[in-house]
Amino acid sequence: MADEPTDAPEPEEPAPNPSRSEPTAAAAPARVRQRRRISRVWLIPIVAVLLGAWMVVTALRDRGPEISIVFPSAEGIEAGETKIRVLNVEVGVVEQVRLVGDLESVVVTARLDKDATRLLREDTQFWVVTARIGTRGISGLGTLLYGGYIELAPGTGRRGRRSFVGLAEPPVTPAGAPGLHLTLQSDRAGSIGTGDPILYKSYPVGRIESARFDPETQQMQYRAFIEAPYDELVTSVTRFWNTSGISLELSADGIQIDTGSLESMIFGGVAMGLPEGMKPGDPVTPGETFALYNDYASVLARPYRFSKEYVVRFGESVRGVRPGAPVEYRGIPVGHVERLLIEELAKEGLHGESTEIPLLIRLEPGRLELSDSERGLDRIAQVIENGVSNGLRATLETGNLITGSQYVAIDFHETAPEASMGRFAGRPTIPTSPSGLAGIQQQIVTLLEQLNELPLEGAVVEATDTLEALRTLVGSRDVQELPGSVEATLADLRAALSSVSAGSPLQQQLGTAVNELDQTLVSLRSLLETLESQPNALLFNRRLSADPRPPAGLGGP
Amino acid sequence: MSEATAPVALPVGDDARPVFPDGTAAAAGFACCHVCRKLAPPQLEDCPRCGAHLHVRKPESLQRTAALLATAAVLYIPANVFPIMTTTQLGVAEPSTILGGVVLLMEHGSWAVASIIFVASVLVPIGKLMSLTWLCYSVWSVHPTSHYERTVLYRVTEWVGRWSMTDVFVVAILVALIQLRGVMQIEAGPAAIAFGAVVILTMLAAEAFDPRLIWDQLYTEGDLQEEMLG
Repeated sequence: MADEPTDAPEPEEPAPNPSRSEPTAAAAPARVRQRRRISRVWLIPIVAVLLGAWMVVTALRDRGPEISIVFPSAEGIEAGETKIRVLNVEVGVVEQVRLVGDLESVVVTARLDKDATRLLREDTQFWVVTARIGTRGISGLGTLLYGGYIELAPGTGRRGRRSFVGLAEPPVTPAGAPGLHLTLQSDRAGSIGTGDPILYKSYPVGRIESARFDPETQQMQYRAFIEAPYDELVTSVTRFWNTSGISLELSADGIQIDTGSLESMIFGGVAMGLPEGMKPGDPVTPGETFALYNDYASVLARPYRFSKEYVVRFGESVRGVRPGAPVEYRGIPVGHVERLLIEELAKEGLHGESTEIPLLIRLEPGRLELSDSERGLDRIAQVIENGVSNGLRATLETGNLITGSQYVAIDFHETAPEASMGRFAGRPTIPTSPSGLAGIQQQIVTLLEQLNELPLEGAVVEATDTLEALRTLVGSRDVQELPGSVEATLADLRAALSSVSAGSPLQQQLGTAVNELDQTLVSLRSLLETLESQPNALLFNRRLSADPRPPAGLGGP
Repeated sequence: MSEATAPVALPVGDDARPVFPDGTAAAAGFACCHVCRKLAPPQLEDCPRCGAHLHVRKPESLQRTAALLATAAVLYIPANVFPIMTTTQLGVAEPSTILGGVVLLMEHGSWAVASIIFVASVLVPIGKLMSLTWLCYSVWSVHPTSHYERTVLYRVTEWVGRWSMTDVFVVAILVALIQLRGVMQIEAGPAAIAFGAVVILTMLAAEAFDPRLIWDQLYTEGDLQEEMLG
């Protein structure tokens, strides 16, 4: 068989060739096949590597975003195990749990699915779902069996956020829910806590989201959420008060029991509404701060939000003036006393007779039917200014004689000396006049002084002399005889009177004379009557003839 | 006509044909059919008895071995990185890799099982990869190691390779048996496929290697000297 020459490195069959027993290849031509230097078997590893690379690339490309969440503790969170869910659909898994350097919190690194990227927004919230027992019931029992997970609540803000701070507890209201967020401030913690309802006419319209005590301002700060559409009920004059528990009022009309809802009775709640007789005000901006009153009575007592501060300085004792005492204009409450400015007084020193005690008062424009707003404050400032130049002064008056409490009265005093408003401790002052009681005291003092100046000694001496003379007079003989002569005169008088008394002859004669006179007058009267009808009766006969009458039928033309 | 890749230092005859050492069937002009084992001249191309393709040495032996070993090496990485099985107990899923499983078993105190798994799934595949690679290299570079020892190494490698499938069988049996959904459930992970592929590829690589190549290198420099010296 012929050996076909091939490429140089190709080995050929060995030279020594034993005789073959089968004459097979003699006729068939030898097939020439070019042998590849590199076998096709290398395709296998190449394909394997390419496949692997493609899988890696795809996995990297389809990998979702990596996020970091800071939690206060890693309870219920396990690296590589804990899932992240949205509405119970798994969207990610926790990869790593690490302590933060200052050992205050843990950082959880998690990777989400790619299609969960759009859920990561500015206000996306994360919290660990575990079994919880709270005022609103038991939740998350399933996690006892199946392990805890992290719940994601997508927000509505800007996308692209990758590092978050996890919540310690599930949020009271879902982020992005339509409604109004407000801040309530109170100086008493009361019984209000996170999750407590906000009631409007006993209907829940919102929730308290968080409660925090601020040691700087010594106030409790609550974040409240009023859900739509009830957020339209909140205006600038809306009041919030604590309606926890039961309120009991005993009055002449009987007992009045007031409660909120059952939930607020047991757990606490906040009520909101308009005080009696007030008109709704301006709309409210989100995040505005409102005061939280301790009960409805406080709301009625201080129904106005805006007030202007003034200082009044009294030269007399301010004993009996308590914070909260009313400021009245002719009996109409226009404000209240805030407090005594002790620090400012201490600064001036308790020296000299010109030290006046400064009181801080607040005038509320709402009480004068000026609007309860900034505008109202300006108006009231104007009113006060004009008034002061016309004699408006502040005085201290007694409110209750028994308790000795006093209040501040503002009124026009025509006789007040000229004065103008000044400034004290950063606030405008209203000039003061001495109070009514102080005036009386003043007058009494003046009276006493005058009394003091009276020449009493001389008067007493004169009186003594007069008495002496009087005694002498009374003791004299003429005076003593006086009663005797008086008596004699009286006896004569009595005798004379008896002669004219009833039944005496004098009286009888008089009676007869009167009767005769009476009769005379009667006859005279008839004469007069005749004269009246016939004036010529004195001359002629009294009888009158009838007027002549012409006979009938006689005469005529 | 397909021959083994010409080793570098194999002495060639005048016409540049490789010279097989004396005493080999190839030197005597015979090729052994790999199906029916009949000796026949390789020029015939096909075995005169069974018709299978005749070749003196396994075709492209070193290349094939090397390629399959490379693939097995590449696949060995995911076999160890990905979990080979996932145990789900009361809803809590716990995946475990090969080495992770070994450690877990050791911690549980099952030293015997752990050592078996370790040997079968870690030592043996790595050992196979390394020994076959070295054998290929030794043939390719005419390394002067003892031919006998290399042949023994090859035999051991080829024989022990199949036992690596132990781990795959373990996973298969566990997955088949433990399927109480909600209480306890075992699922195979992607590493099971990768590891199975590694074992098969190393077995194919061992199969592709022609140990006769070791003995074709009887004519090393040293041997030549010895022969020439007598």
